[in-house]
Amino acid sequence: MRANNMVAMILAGGRGSRLKELTKKVAKPAVHFGGKYRIIDFPLSNCANSDIKTVGVLTQYESVLLNSYVARDHYWGLDTNNGGVFVLTPREKDEEDFEVYRGTADAITANIDFLDSMNPEYLLILSGDHIYKMNYAKMLAYHKESQADATIAVREVSLKEATRFGIMNTDNTDRIVEFEEKPAHPKSNLASMGIYIFTYKTLRKYLVADAKKADSHHDFGKDIIPAYLNDNRKLFAYRFKGYWKDVGTVDSLWEANMDLLDKNSELDLGDKTWKIYTEDVNALPQYIGDEAKIENCFVTQGSVIEGKVKNSIIGTSVIIGKGAVVEDSVLQPGAIIGEGATVIRCIVADDVEIAPGAVAGSRDSAEIELIASNFVE
Amino acid sequence: MRALGIISFEDNTAKIEGLGDYRPVPAIAFMGRYRVIDFILSNMTNSGIDNVQVYCKEKPRNLIEHLGSGSHYNINSKRGKLRVLYGEKSFSSEVYNHDVANYMLNMQYIEEDKNPYVVIAPSYFVYSIDFNEVMKQHVASKADVTVLYTAANNAKTAYLGADTIDIEKVTKTVQGFGKNRGNKKNANISLEAYVMSKKLFIDLVKKASEISSLYWFKDILADSVDELSMRGYQVKGYVACINSLSEYYRISMELKNYKKAQQLFRPGWPIYTQTNDSAPTLYSADASVSDSVVANGSEINGTVKGSIISRNVIICKGAEVKDSILLPGAYIGENAKLDHVVVDKYAIVHHVKKLVGTETEPIYVKRRDRI
Repeated sequence: MRANNMVAMILAGGRGSRLKELTKKVAKPAVHFGGKYRIIDFPLSNCANSDIKTVGVLTQYESVLLNSYVARDHYWGLDTNNGGVFVLTPREKDEEDFEVYRGTADAITANIDFLDSMNPEYLLILSGDHIYKMNYAKMLAYHKESQADATIAVREVSLKEATRFGIMNTDNTDRIVEFEEKPAHPKSNLASMGIYIFTYKTLRKYLVADAKKADSHHDFGKDIIPAYLNDNRKLFAYRFKGYWKDVGTVDSLWEANMDLLDKNSELDLGDKTWKIYTEDVNALPQYIGDEAKIENCFVTQGSVIEGKVKNSIIGTSVIIGKGAVVEDSVLQPGAIIGEGATVIRCIVADDVEIAPGAVAGSRDSAEIELIASNFVE
Repeated sequence: MRALGIISFEDNTAKIEGLGDYRPVPAIAFMGRYRVIDFILSNMTNSGIDNVQVYCKEKPRNLIEHLGSGSHYNINSKRGKLRVLYGEKSFSSEVYNHDVANYMLNMQYIEEDKNPYVVIAPSYFVYSIDFNEVMKQHVASKADVTVLYTAANNAKTAYLGADTIDIEKVTKTVQGFGKNRGNKKNANISLEAYVMSKKLFIDLVKKASEISSLYWFKDILADSVDELSMRGYQVKGYVACINSLSEYYRISMELKNYKKAQQLFRPGWPIYTQTNDSAPTLYSADASVSDSVVANGSEINGTVKGSIISRNVIICKGAEVKDSILLPGAYIGENAKLDHVVVDKYAIVHHVKKLVGTETEPIYVKRRDRI
């Protein structure tokens, strides 16, 4: 028998176009974060730490790198005999037209055969593009305890922020009575985190029915949840307290990176009881030159720092030349900052070179500048 | 490559004061994130040697944990094999616990290997070598044995107690072995690394055990100089021998220089090691770090200069770490001052204001010690 009869499905097919050139050749879940990680390491590590054995990853947009990355399930310790990471891309099927995933729910429906073969009692639906640490086992316990048909993880936001999220209106037992997508006048401050636990048997019926509807978006938020509510199914809100961030924009990706500089942040990646696992890269330890100055930084292996760096995240094998100044910036793996160059309030994309003496970004820019190709100005 | 890799253990002249009390030399932490054995083992696997036997003289736990299945050294999990072997019996005296005795006790594993050649090397010599090149020369020269060596110019202070070899300059024929007693600056130092046919290796091991129960493999080789044709193979890049605490310290400090390190860590020649998912290192606003090598998973709130900081080290505010080596998990409390100190794993330096060693005699703080 399976140790934990819940299968996780991670929705990782989106482009994340607001991350601009960062997702030109890789899907958003594969974008680097925190110097050495990729965004999808967070849900995958959460699964591993929550004792989930089987994880399906639904990929679509620019999936070559992402597919081969997640298939290496030993990175997260998910390579057990009775489980593993299953890469689920749209596929051609007998007697059906070949179609891409048309929505979040459709991506699951298209893999109902896979899920049936796994025969899970519960299904956990996750996004591949959020930064957070969460014990899904606790959420499952809550789901069982409340005898819910579905449980939706929520976090409390300000009423002002609530206008940007899917909002759950609940009764005093936290049973969800209404769901509003980006309400102009929110009645509640409980924002959906896009994390759902469904009792699989029930969900299966709804998915099959939804697939037949011509006017459906085949989306969990827009179609499945409303259908559940319509039928008076038991939906509960699971309140999550702790760090959570959607890193969908250049600014929010930068902010989440900066949160790592706060030692007291709830997103403490040094916490040994809830490690975030990632690829093993083979790189030297950090080499800090004799003229270097490093202040308030998060630095990972392979980097060679000879300049002055402040309030920044330094990714794997980044090189910062002599006399260079880097401040309030995120340098993605492989970035090279030439001698005497200045980089302020920037995200420098993977393997991008800033020429010696060049000046990128500025201290008083309203937005974070994304440097996605070699920069010589 | 059609060779069995044998990682031998160092003889009794290698003694790393302090650090060596807790683990064999190959398992000693080195350059922040490595262990000494990672270098020779990566040389072998990068050269395409997929079957490797690691001989361990004593305290195998540490080494077994670090080496695991060998998959992180890029050994094919189906076609290759990494074995840690040791004498599964107790020796009545320390002097009987030498390499030949351990080869004899594990002879079946050597005999059943299908490779026609063996590449033997200890781990306490640190260098970067493609054994394919060595093998090419070995086969072309038709020598019975190829001996790797380095032409050292610092033999007065380094490689003390190591084997020297006399080499005929033109033919590179090995004419004899000696010992480096530090009398001369220049010496050809044997890296105790040999290439030969597996059959010859087995014959020599058996012969050694018959001649004397105290014979090391190097002794039978020295005995056989006249009977066998032995050729030298000079390793030209960076070479160092970690055979004492002061050498461990000196070599670490030398490799702290990035240019020097690049002679050992060559492009396309990765040095593999066991990793443990440490987060990047956090340098706080109070940190001041220069001229240092830092591994992941640490937290630096103090001043660090000219030092090597391993994984999961914590340096508190006001602490000053200068010209020191901190092993994994070391904790340096507020305002503590370290100068030329080697701090072993998980040691806590707290209520001491100042520890000052010297370049040739760094202070050693014991494993899990609390001072």
